[in-house]
Amino acid sequence: MGNGISAYMVRRFLFLIPLLIGLSMVMFTLIHLAPGDPALAMMSPAAASNPQYLEQTRENLGLNEPLPVQYLTWLGNLLTGDFGTAYTFNNKPVLDLIGERFWGTVQLQGISLFLGILIAFPVGILSATRQYSAVDNGVTIGSFVGLAIPNFWLALLLQVWLGVQLGWLPVISTGQANKPWSERWQYFVLPVIVLTLPNIAYFARFMRSSMLEVIRQDFMTTARSKGLGPRAVLYRHGLRNAMIPMITVIGLQMPRILGGAVIIEQIFAWPGLGLLAFDAIGRRDYPVILALTMLTGAAVMVVNVLVDFVYVLVDPRVSVTGGSASS
Amino acid sequence: MAQETATRLSTSGRDSLSALRSEQKYPVIRRFMQNRLAVAGLVVIVLFYAAAFLEPVITTYPYDELLPGMRNTEPSTDHVMGTDRSGRDVYSRLIKGGQVSLAAGFAAVLIVMTIGVTLGAAAGFFGGIVDSIIMRFTDILLSIPLILLLITAASLFQPSLRTTIFVIGVSSWPGAARLIRGQFLQLKGQEFVTAARSIGASPYRIMLRHIFPNSLAIIIVEATLWLSYAILLEASLSYLGLGVQIPTPSWGNMLQDGQRSLLFGAWWLTLFPGLAIFLTVLAFNLMGDGLRDALDPRHRTRAS
Repeated sequence: MGNGISAYMVRRFLFLIPLLIGLSMVMFTLIHLAPGDPALAMMSPAAASNPQYLEQTRENLGLNEPLPVQYLTWLGNLLTGDFGTAYTFNNKPVLDLIGERFWGTVQLQGISLFLGILIAFPVGILSATRQYSAVDNGVTIGSFVGLAIPNFWLALLLQVWLGVQLGWLPVISTGQANKPWSERWQYFVLPVIVLTLPNIAYFARFMRSSMLEVIRQDFMTTARSKGLGPRAVLYRHGLRNAMIPMITVIGLQMPRILGGAVIIEQIFAWPGLGLLAFDAIGRRDYPVILALTMLTGAAVMVVNVLVDFVYVLVDPRVSVTGGSASS
Repeated sequence: MAQETATRLSTSGRDSLSALRSEQKYPVIRRFMQNRLAVAGLVVIVLFYAAAFLEPVITTYPYDELLPGMRNTEPSTDHVMGTDRSGRDVYSRLIKGGQVSLAAGFAAVLIVMTIGVTLGAAAGFFGGIVDSIIMRFTDILLSIPLILLLITAASLFQPSLRTTIFVIGVSSWPGAARLIRGQFLQLKGQEFVTAARSIGASPYRIMLRHIFPNSLAIIIVEATLWLSYAILLEASLSYLGLGVQIPTPSWGNMLQDGQRSLLFGAWWLTLFPGLAIFLTVLAFNLMGDGLRDALDPRHRTRAS
């Protein structure tokens, strides 16, 4: 088992390199196709009215070079760890910019993911063990509802209701980073609720169907006939097997932590990566956009490989050569 | 089973092919009808699309007519859902927006399915290099969070309804392609394909007349579920201002427009468009799930 798997893993990781290069080429071409001049976006209108200054800036940024040359320059810098300097955003080095916003997003998404799983697990199991009961029907309908509500709508409604009308919670999060935690937690409540709800719905559904499939299996009946009590059977045998596809599902959701919440971050003025991406795209800030895309893309690809790896480890039926989720 | 079929063939008075087809169709429709939630979804969708088609008849005011004295008024008998901050009737805009959003979703899904099925089928059926190239490209596109891809693609154009449909279609096809590819891979190995090949059928014929009809069920289910997602995506883009532009109403940009008045208590500007999106997405999800259960009864006990 050892040799086959490590060779497989190495191969999978090596395969990522052409994928990442492909990603960089696609994104590079895509954003350079967009109309709009980043040099123009960088400056105040007064500075922009000077055509020589504009031209000089474009020269300095290398924007007049042919596209392949620009790409290779960028790629070369990237490989030495230089992600460049942002065009807008006060000329900050891109890595610094991302570093500042990174924790904001990860905190929010991480908490929502964690809470989602925490609540979804017992709910899904409960729903599966009492199939077709009132609880199960409630959970089923609830999960449909949870996945159908547009998150920005929910955010607006909660903002108005809990924030403005009842005045219980702060509505937007400017300045929250500087406050002590005793006050800070309040700013988290609304966005976390909005982000956690669809997570609960999604994971609960999966947990339920996974659990249901496991319960029907023969080995469960065998365990019962051995004399094990129903609860022991459920936890020792059922749960462990139901967890296997859950791990895949959870793992695949993890990369969303980095990029997903653009709209929510906008509504709550949360300084995170999503908002950064949105602003950067609007301002044609190529270095920032490229850096963010490469980071999220790399994260997604790496996590996919890791999830497959965990799957192979955890489920002894799956062999390295036989079953793999992608390709 | 064969005897049953023979009896039906003789008593139905129709030709054998259509008798066989109807024998297969009825259980599906019956199973679908037994699922009350799915039927509810179907009813809602039919209602909404009917409203969209009947828009000229059932709206009370032109959607872009500004009534200056009537800004931000509450729902009343004259304006069933109130007016927005430019004095336009919300109800009429909601129906018109329904036309826009529902049509956008539908058109986007057509694009997604066309590209997705074509590439997925090619990848699954031909395998080898074709498969590798297509799959690598799909993997690359799938590694970017969809919303970022949408925003980037939207930045390439002046936003409008047409470009929004194009953007959603072109950004979302990788997911569908993956699925179709899996289907084709699975079906490729089945006996009827080997049989067809052994009598000398060309690859295209096999794909078109043998494998494709058998994947139709999955394609329809996927299309339904993608429709709900496409409507949500269009609403999100329009909300961000990157989709359909005012004065053309879309449920998404109505939410954006009404946001400013929300703090002053204009709840009707947010409630109705959001409710419309929510109900539509919910209905499509329920219907798609019901279709999936009806078409493949083995899943019935585990799906929700």
